[in-house]
Amino acid sequence: MSQFLQQLVNGLSIGSVYALMAVGYSLVYSIMNFSNFAHGGVIMLGAYFGFFSLTSLKLPFAAAFLIASVGTALLAVLIERVAYKPLRDRRAPFLYFIISAMGASILLENIVIATIGPTFRTYPEIFAREPISLGTLSIGRLDLIMFFVSAFCLAGLILFIEKTRIGKAIQAAAYNMKACALMGVNTDRVVLIVFALGGFLAGVAGVFFGMKYTVYPQIGNITTKSFIAAVFGGLGSLPGAVIGSVLLGIIETLVAGYLSSQFRDLIAFVILIGVLIFRPTGIMGKSTEDKA
Amino acid sequence: MSANVLEVKGLTKRFGGLAAVNDVSFDVREGGISGLIGPNGAGKTTIFNLITGVYKVTAGEVSFQGRRIENVEPYKIADLGVTRTFQNIRLFKNLSVFDNVLTACHLSAKYSIPEAILRLPRFRREEKVLAEKATFLLEIMGLQDRRDIQANNLPYGLQRRLEIVRALALDPKLLLLDEPAAGMNPDETEQLMRLISEIRERFKLSVLLIEHHMDLVMGICEHIVVLNFGQKLSEGSADAVSSDPKVMEAYLGSSGGNKC
Amino acid sequence: MDWTYIQGILMLAGINLIAVLGLCLLTGFTGLFSFGHAGFMAIGAYIGALMTVPPATTAGNIGGFGLPFVVGIVAGGAAAGLVSWLLGRITLNLKGDYFCIATLGFGEAIRLILNNVKTFGGARGWPGVPQYSTVWAVLVVDIVAVLFLANLVRSRHGRNMIAVREEELAAQIAGIDVFKYKMIALIVSAVYAGVAGVLFGHYMTFIQPKMFSMTKSTELTIIVIFGGLGSISGSVLGALVLTALPELLRAFDIWRLVFYGAAVILIMISRPKGLMGGMELSPAGLRKVAAARRARLAFKTEALREDAAEGLRAEEAAPGGKA
Repeated sequence: MSQFLQQLVNGLSIGSVYALMAVGYSLVYSIMNFSNFAHGGVIMLGAYFGFFSLTSLKLPFAAAFLIASVGTALLAVLIERVAYKPLRDRRAPFLYFIISAMGASILLENIVIATIGPTFRTYPEIFAREPISLGTLSIGRLDLIMFFVSAFCLAGLILFIEKTRIGKAIQAAAYNMKACALMGVNTDRVVLIVFALGGFLAGVAGVFFGMKYTVYPQIGNITTKSFIAAVFGGLGSLPGAVIGSVLLGIIETLVAGYLSSQFRDLIAFVILIGVLIFRPTGIMGKSTEDKA
Repeated sequence: MSANVLEVKGLTKRFGGLAAVNDVSFDVREGGISGLIGPNGAGKTTIFNLITGVYKVTAGEVSFQGRRIENVEPYKIADLGVTRTFQNIRLFKNLSVFDNVLTACHLSAKYSIPEAILRLPRFRREEKVLAEKATFLLEIMGLQDRRDIQANNLPYGLQRRLEIVRALALDPKLLLLDEPAAGMNPDETEQLMRLISEIRERFKLSVLLIEHHMDLVMGICEHIVVLNFGQKLSEGSADAVSSDPKVMEAYLGSSGGNKC
Repeated sequence: MDWTYIQGILMLAGINLIAVLGLCLLTGFTGLFSFGHAGFMAIGAYIGALMTVPPATTAGNIGGFGLPFVVGIVAGGAAAGLVSWLLGRITLNLKGDYFCIATLGFGEAIRLILNNVKTFGGARGWPGVPQYSTVWAVLVVDIVAVLFLANLVRSRHGRNMIAVREEELAAQIAGIDVFKYKMIALIVSAVYAGVAGVLFGHYMTFIQPKMFSMTKSTELTIIVIFGGLGSISGSVLGALVLTALPELLRAFDIWRLVFYGAAVILIMISRPKGLMGGMELSPAGLRKVAAARRARLAFKTEALREDAAEGLRAEEAAPGGKA
């Protein structure tokens, strides 16, 4: 039982980081209806921004965090301007967006390989390694901080979307972009803000991910799992992305703990295919009938 | 009185809680031209989508030549002999005019994939027949001199005409036309009216059309069904329908009669 | 630069071309995008190796059946085709980009499964695959693959696939069984990828799951897009240029994928039709282009003449026009 609780806690911690990444996929999907595969690259660069702020610039932790997340927010906006805006202006089919996103993802990953190099880099130790004991449970300090910061960021995001004017505009755009434009909402700005928000959280997630594991150019491929979490929860739904991520995190740690750590990566893809077969719209997504 | 080619009974379609089509029944006579009219949002196109299998039917029956076709897959319904055009034209945009029609002729050939890959005699024979059929259709519909133009480079009116030619390539017995005269001037509309009558004679088929141009509907439809808010309001000949007080009210009351 | 080196590059391009041709049918002609075809290549490579690798003699070796190369090619292609049929049955009804997502999941799942299957060497790979792939073998398969595809595409079946790409709903209404044609395209593309995998394994003489990653899948799709959707000759050109060029510019190797990524974005935002843009470099293809051009010209002159006539009429009709 205590082992189970321990796994649950670990799963929750990694699930909350997945959630930070997954909301980025879902936000973009909700208003633009395509899977922004470049998001993984943005997260990866977030990890590098944080890493170099800490090591080369010797900045304090909080400053490194800020630099990473502001940097990725700007990067996400830049990608939108270069790779998607021309397609939006042309009303290109969604497949063009996906391909452009794939191109951006390959570009980011390989620019890093070509300039910084393919080696694994380890974050300096910021939080003491010895875990905090709570009865029979032992919780890593980093895990604890990851969980609380992620929860804080996600709560902030949801408040922003629910309470502010621009948040309402995002909701409206998610419902119907065209009608929104007709009602006088500056949809171009809404798109930019959505990318900036997703990018900001990607930076936070990237730094945590780098601290928990290591930093290397292919982190972007691992973030595919957070994308799967977004699909699991229902692409385009923010609560869905969070629930899907937490569930995926827990399932992964349970599988790794009870079956074999080798199945840890596989289980995500098994879930993905299962979801697509039985409920492509995910946990929170609603099914719709195409209008001819 | 001839038999009915299409019989619709108690047709209902709900989207969530909203009934887009509610308990609508009507028949289309064999060899006739029937019209489906009504204000915007009355459920006309939804009925087309239900007949052609694009939407699943919530309740009710659709019979084509005595055979139930509700919830049958669209391509099978097309194979049986029901085809349509779309309100917002849906051509194979990047293909030439000729290829649009040639593609739709596919049901007239039976050769298999291995026969195609190995270029066996049946492939050559049937391909020739298909090409001849497509050429013939383009000729009688007056599109032969535009056969090599890419479909989306055609002027609007001809795109609508090409969509009809593509439908005819399937040898339909029932042709559904969704606002064929949309965006046309009176001259073009009159031309279209003649064309529809000609098609009916030449291809021995029945026509059901949705239209807002009252001249066209009143001019060629032998039987008219009027819809409002998803329900049937009235039915009958042009004269009977246009003098029905309920129809007058629906049209004059809601849209000020400017559709006439 | 000696002949063996050039030969190696040509073989690699030729092998890539087979997989690319399959994707050309799926993506370029039928309009379905896949980010998992490296998975089919992997299936082909492993099943092909299983057929041809000689039976194990010592305990450490991974043994196969020691059958001829042809059996390996057929079995590898067939296995990939069979798996694609299963995948298609559950994913081809998915809407929008959910099919792409499913193929992505499939490709990664295959790689991860192979990583864990100890019988085939797991993540460390499977050495000792016989070096059966020769320039001639690759060339023969390439020619057959191009001919098959060209003949399929220029038939009613190929036209039906193009119709599905152009306008799915209209294709249905025109009596085309959309699901069936998507399935055929998927199976053919998977068989092509499987055969490419067999040839690849027997060229490298060593196979490893990580050779068949998502990057490989994406690379194949990128070549198709680069060559131009709906053009076989574009795919051939794309495979040759994009495989050979970076190999020849060895010094820039690490920048190869940077160039790929930038090129993809550039193509998407500026010339989404790719190199060939649906045109074919063949006598019939060129005739078609010429005919379309003539038709457009004739049409323009006619429109001009009509405009002029209309203008004249208007001037005549208007009393005291600007005559």
